[in-house]
Amino acid sequence: MSHWTPELLSPAGSLEKLKVSVLYGADAVYLGGQKFDLRQASDNFTYEELTEGVEFAHSHGSKVYVVLNSFLHDKDLEELPEFLGLLEELKVDAVIVSDLGVISTIQKHSKLVVHLSTQASCLNVESAKLWQKMGAHRIVLGREVTIKEAAKIKKATGLEIEMFVHGSMCMSYSGNCVISNYTQGRDSNRGGCAHSCRFEYSIDFKNESKESKKAYFMSSKDLEGIRMLPEFIEAGIDSLKVEGRNKSHHYAGTISKVYSEALRYYRGHGNFLSSDMISWEEELRKVSHRDYTTGSLDIYAGDDSIYNNREQDDNEFVVSGIVLEASVGKHLLVDVKSAFHPGDILEVMPFKGQTEKLKVDFLRSLSGVSLEKSKPGSVVKIPYIPGAEKFNIIRKRAV
Amino acid sequence: MKLVTYIENFEELEKLIALDCKTPIEIIVGATPLTRYSKTSLEEMLRLTGIAKKNNIDVVLEWDALNQEEKFLNSCDVIDRLPLHEFKAIRVQDPGAVEYIKNKYPWLKIQLILENGNHNLIGLNKWCEYLGEQCERLVLSNELSREMLRGYAKVLKTPIEILVFGRILLFYSPRKLLSPLEKKNIEVKSLEAYGSSEESPHSGFPLIENTHGTFMFNVKDLYLLDHLDELREMGILHTRVDLRFDESFNNYSEAVMNLFSGTVSENELPFKKIHPRPLIKGFYNINKTDVLFTKLKNKRTQRQDVNYIGEIVDVERDVQLALMIKSDMFDRSLIHEIRMITPEGKEKVVQLSWIKSSVGEEVHSAMKNDLVLIPYTNGITVKTQVYLNSKNS
Ligand code: SF4
Repeated sequence: MSHWTPELLSPAGSLEKLKVSVLYGADAVYLGGQKFDLRQASDNFTYEELTEGVEFAHSHGSKVYVVLNSFLHDKDLEELPEFLGLLEELKVDAVIVSDLGVISTIQKHSKLVVHLSTQASCLNVESAKLWQKMGAHRIVLGREVTIKEAAKIKKATGLEIEMFVHGSMCMSYSGNCVISNYTQGRDSNRGGCAHSCRFEYSIDFKNESKESKKAYFMSSKDLEGIRMLPEFIEAGIDSLKVEGRNKSHHYAGTISKVYSEALRYYRGHGNFLSSDMISWEEELRKVSHRDYTTGSLDIYAGDDSIYNNREQDDNEFVVSGIVLEASVGKHLLVDVKSAFHPGDILEVMPFKGQTEKLKVDFLRSLSGVSLEKSKPGSVVKIPYIPGAEKFNIIRKRAV
Repeated sequence: MKLVTYIENFEELEKLIALDCKTPIEIIVGATPLTRYSKTSLEEMLRLTGIAKKNNIDVVLEWDALNQEEKFLNSCDVIDRLPLHEFKAIRVQDPGAVEYIKNKYPWLKIQLILENGNHNLIGLNKWCEYLGEQCERLVLSNELSREMLRGYAKVLKTPIEILVFGRILLFYSPRKLLSPLEKKNIEVKSLEAYGSSEESPHSGFPLIENTHGTFMFNVKDLYLLDHLDELREMGILHTRVDLRFDESFNNYSEAVMNLFSGTVSENELPFKKIHPRPLIKGFYNINKTDVLFTKLKNKRTQRQDVNYIGEIVDVERDVQLALMIKSDMFDRSLIHEIRMITPEGKEKVVQLSWIKSSVGEEVHSAMKNDLVLIPYTNGITVKTQVYLNSKNS
């Protein structure tokens, strides 16, 4: 008997990352076009890439949601109907929206399914009821809502409910931060957030003459919800979202793999009493992250959810590359993302199951010239390892 | 033109009454359980309301805190216990609060706060349509430019209100971010501070932490009092002056009343000289906040047209280029010439004399996601986009 589990919804910051997320187990991916979403700095998808991405995801049984969650101005809205037509043609599964003007435009010009973005900060039953009347089919709840509250919202409205399960968190109520607008001239609600909440601030309390206090007081820890999966399932939450369209292939692959394996285990066993739980958690620590917190999933986020630390790159692992071709018994062609050397021990992350160690016995260019070091942005040949497949991530322990 | 302002205590109300303003005034009252920055208790708020009404001043209740379900239900309890008929209207932002009032108190007028986002007419019209007659006013965002406001005022049937003087809210979090720095281990009701960062070009952001969370304001305050005539001419007849911070009520209320009564002109106001922070017009003149980030992308590394073949993923100088096929099919017999566009925008058209697989065998076709080798071309770099030269098509 297969037990019900929520959809795992992973980020697709680029076409390549879409493939990685899907192949590592995402049931659905979300992505942005060239406009109308909040990740203007990420690669985003051209129409051709979108076409290929939707085809790829659908052929692997995964859904595609397109993010249109900017707070659009009138002139932006003029360009929207044409894009909606393209999305309908491509048969994307839904669009993620936060602005009422955008929702109205979608309803007027298409039959696209509307998911209300977390950007709209829907936090309670009454709010969900209002957005339901406005045409939302699914609500991506604000990250401030507990799972218990989400269950109530679902029960009261019958709407599909999506919650964040993993990734970075905006410290502000989503859609309620305009720091970048006023300090950098970039609209954070149209994709220009400059992450000012991650800065160090010196704080001077009013009516206190004491020295100022330095702190990263607005920087949130990252959300990790793997231990909350039983609660998500019990609450009937329809979709679990992984944040991170601007993050690496390693991140997209690892998080999709870990959560999909955990959910697959549950489907087979009806519980999470897997000896793999520890290794899943270890895997989540191998990708770039701030300290983890469960945010407000259980109780409202408190002091211990504040990161209060400098942004740093102290990854346990770095991505060495992505497999472009696995020539059985001969070699792997690797799109190099960071340098490695002959003799290095790498790890190949299969789409399912344990990672495999791979010793770089040879390192060659495509024409067969031996290399002393791989160069990011090049393609190299390294030894074949059984089980390796195209789009597998290859990583190396950071020194 | 109506002056809309906040009243937080008896001294302020007494002063306001004593000033005997000649222009119509509407006051906003709040209470700690419902209102973002209010330190007023429910009882005090009700007494203030009673006195104001006796003096023929319109009183509007503000319920602008955002609340997760559990806290929201508590707020609803508070609302249900209030004599709502005493208020001219209620101001709400959370769509949950909007829905609650719409359904439970359909006779109570709503002043809808649309200050975050809501930067298009289609959306504004939809809100008005949804609330119908119950919607008494739209409180619009201070990110709207003069032109946008002018357009909206012309078309919208529902009156609109904007802030013309006061702090600009930048950030609202339900989390308590200042008290962990205090470490006094005592429950504090409210904390105020200023934050500065070396990574930001600005310093001295006012901060407040209270029962609703943490708020950060801009280092400069909004000042549009020199545009009142223009706003009136545009049809914006409700302008809000926020005197809740920095002793502003004490310092400026008289001058504001005089300005609205027409007994002094704007350039006689003391504001610019004594205000503790710089004053700005925000986005009133123009909003170009989408200009900078459109430059963040390199259009040349993006696929563009139907003749697309793929992308160069490796370059071996004087030997070969590796091409990742991204179109459905790559057939040598159909392609003699390719056009390559580098990330820098340089274009090269070259003939294809051969195509090889990754093991060096000559091939005649390749499928999507295959990697093939093609002859080296000087000046071509990784991420170069490759197209069928349109002469061939
Ligand atoms: S600055 Fe921080 S809190 Fe504000 S929108 Fe950006 S991520 Fe969110």
